[in-house]
Amino acid sequence: MFISGIGIVFTRGRGIDSFENALKEGWRAPSWTGSFPAYRVGQEILIDASLSKKIRRADRFSRMAVLSAVDAYRDSGITVNQSENLGIILATAFGPHATTFSFIDDILDYSDANVSPTKFSNSVHNAAASYISAILDSRGPTVTVTQFKLAFQNALILAGSWIAEGRCDHVLCGCADELGTVMEYACKMKLNIAKDGKINPFAFSDSPVSVPGEGSVFIMLSKEKGSNNYGKVTETSFFQNITGKPDLFIIDTDGMSGNEKDYKDIINYGSLIAGYSPVFGSMLTGSALNFAAAALMLKNQVAYKCIFQDNPFGAKLCAETYAKNLDEIYCIKICRPEIKTIVKLQK
Amino acid sequence: MKVVISGIGIISAAGFNLEQNLDAIKNGKRNAGPASVFSTILPYPVFEVKALPEKLEKEEMRTQSLAFAALKEALDDAGLQAPLSGFRTGVCLGTTVASQLNDIAFYTAFRKSGSADLKPVDLFLSGNLAESVACSVNASGPSITVVNACSSGTDAIGIALSWLKSGLCDIAITGGADEISRVPLCGFGSLGILSNSLCAPFDKNRSGLNLGEGAGILIIEREDFYIKRCGKPSLYLTGYGSFADAYHLTAPRPDGTGLESAIRKALSDAGVLPADICFVNAHGTGTTDNDKVEGSVLSRVFGNKIKFLSTKGYTGHTLGGAGGIEAAYTAAALKEGWIPASAGFACRDDEISISPVTENTAINGSFAVSTSLAFGGNNAAIVIERA
Repeated sequence: MFISGIGIVFTRGRGIDSFENALKEGWRAPSWTGSFPAYRVGQEILIDASLSKKIRRADRFSRMAVLSAVDAYRDSGITVNQSENLGIILATAFGPHATTFSFIDDILDYSDANVSPTKFSNSVHNAAASYISAILDSRGPTVTVTQFKLAFQNALILAGSWIAEGRCDHVLCGCADELGTVMEYACKMKLNIAKDGKINPFAFSDSPVSVPGEGSVFIMLSKEKGSNNYGKVTETSFFQNITGKPDLFIIDTDGMSGNEKDYKDIINYGSLIAGYSPVFGSMLTGSALNFAAAALMLKNQVAYKCIFQDNPFGAKLCAETYAKNLDEIYCIKICRPEIKTIVKLQK
Repeated sequence: MKVVISGIGIISAAGFNLEQNLDAIKNGKRNAGPASVFSTILPYPVFEVKALPEKLEKEEMRTQSLAFAALKEALDDAGLQAPLSGFRTGVCLGTTVASQLNDIAFYTAFRKSGSADLKPVDLFLSGNLAESVACSVNASGPSITVVNACSSGTDAIGIALSWLKSGLCDIAITGGADEISRVPLCGFGSLGILSNSLCAPFDKNRSGLNLGEGAGILIIEREDFYIKRCGKPSLYLTGYGSFADAYHLTAPRPDGTGLESAIRKALSDAGVLPADICFVNAHGTGTTDNDKVEGSVLSRVFGNKIKFLSTKGYTGHTLGGAGGIEAAYTAAALKEGWIPASAGFACRDDEISISPVTENTAINGSFAVSTSLAFGGNNAAIVIERA
């Protein structure tokens, strides 16, 4: 399936151009609004006058998802004539948890019988996909899925199945996760947060540091090659060893798995290695942002520099931004040695 | 390539296994009462599972406990035993409540002092439904939890069907599970769609839904794989359709075109015509809007003589579990050749041109449809075939 559009909302802005600029610019310090550094999405990024009426009741989670999905659709330049030909898959680890807790605030403050129906309906995981479907008048299959380890990879597999089966010609496939107050507390207590705000993706440590992030990415995937083409997804596989030698590996090292030692083996394949979590932060659904970086690199035929502090194992890193012939990129996520996923992208 | 349903497992307020469930619905038992799992001032009756099988009960993980109870029965029925590491196994399950970190005691402590015991967070992080089931059986294929509100279970079954058809796995564990919880009870109450009495799907005087809990799990397998393993199949999962309303966050599209497309797609996927369907296990929540739209679509697609029912009068609306439970009932009914009376229905609604069956009814035919409608405007349907 072809990658025909990308939409993104992340700490440094909205849209694929913002993302490209961030990749070129490199590391920028995260915000320190709480007790630790985090890559938060500012409220100003989530304002869109053209959609304000349609998302006036939407919460922050849904807004991030809607804006990135609408941007991916627009970026593709495709107008889906048959609205049933466009499917939507939203993958998330935690869903709109801030709204859930706000709803529980109502229960605690006003009793079980005096709570807000608007908050409740927005607290449901699939509210965001519902907004997207209504705004784009997309009537194809629309599902929201959740997973902590491999949410995006499973969403890609599903998108591939739908297109192969002919359920739809295009799928908006994306991820969204937010960093609410309770999640910040959980991160503070459970993660090894980098006090200097610097993720160290190539240390391959057994106690890696992280800097929590939030955001949303949608990818427009199409059966046919469109006018805007970032390349194609040729394979998404689980539990398999890496075969072949891509031009570049992009790895999901952001400190969230708690142990990144197993990524070290990728050095042995001899290909260039990159990883962009320092640009957007640590997220369980961060694979989608690395995937977006891969697609952008294939389209632009540019290798973007990755940010690192140390490279103790001598990995062949992408240390500068430069024009490079890139035919194939593998995006790798390893949760445990036996749980490894490979997403293969080709020019 | 056809897909076999090789195992069925179910737990609900109607019973702890398929046999008990079928016995209860055959005898018209409706085991509803006030909520006892949590405290609430809300008066709405709910359908609770009164006691969980002790060996399968996971501490403070009610949805998982329900799912594992149904999973055990389904695996036994399929002649399978965990671990399934020798097979390419996928896990696709629907839920709603288990996907949310919504522990009220944890949050109460957190908002009071800014800190709280993290045990509920740990349980949540280890409790993604599909991940935990996949881990328990050593599944080596895709695993995903579908959180499409009330159509989660049906969509999960449809996704698992796609996996098998595309060769991603040989076996899939699918269906849905959900626990009764104070948060959705308050939420549905705030929307004004809970009934103070027992629900009456499609009835003229219906006044809303009752929440319930439970799990329905199907084991599905590629036919070639199943035949080698076991021999002749008796049930098939043959079609799936899913379409969105693109209309409203909580209300169904009044013209029902999303649901109609989902049903028609499931039929074409199965290679059958509306006339081939011997009954429909409808979503039938008992709310004014759902039943009106669904009744209208069923009559439009299948004509006025279609036999249909809602089983929510026996189980309550089990949200993410509903699609799995209703698929299990549909498969069992096809196999046994009868459908139960649609509990709660007494009086025909002038705005719905068809009426559900009012007594236990014999069915002749090979194909049945189960439908789900959901918050967010999702509509899903599956077709099940008796071999």
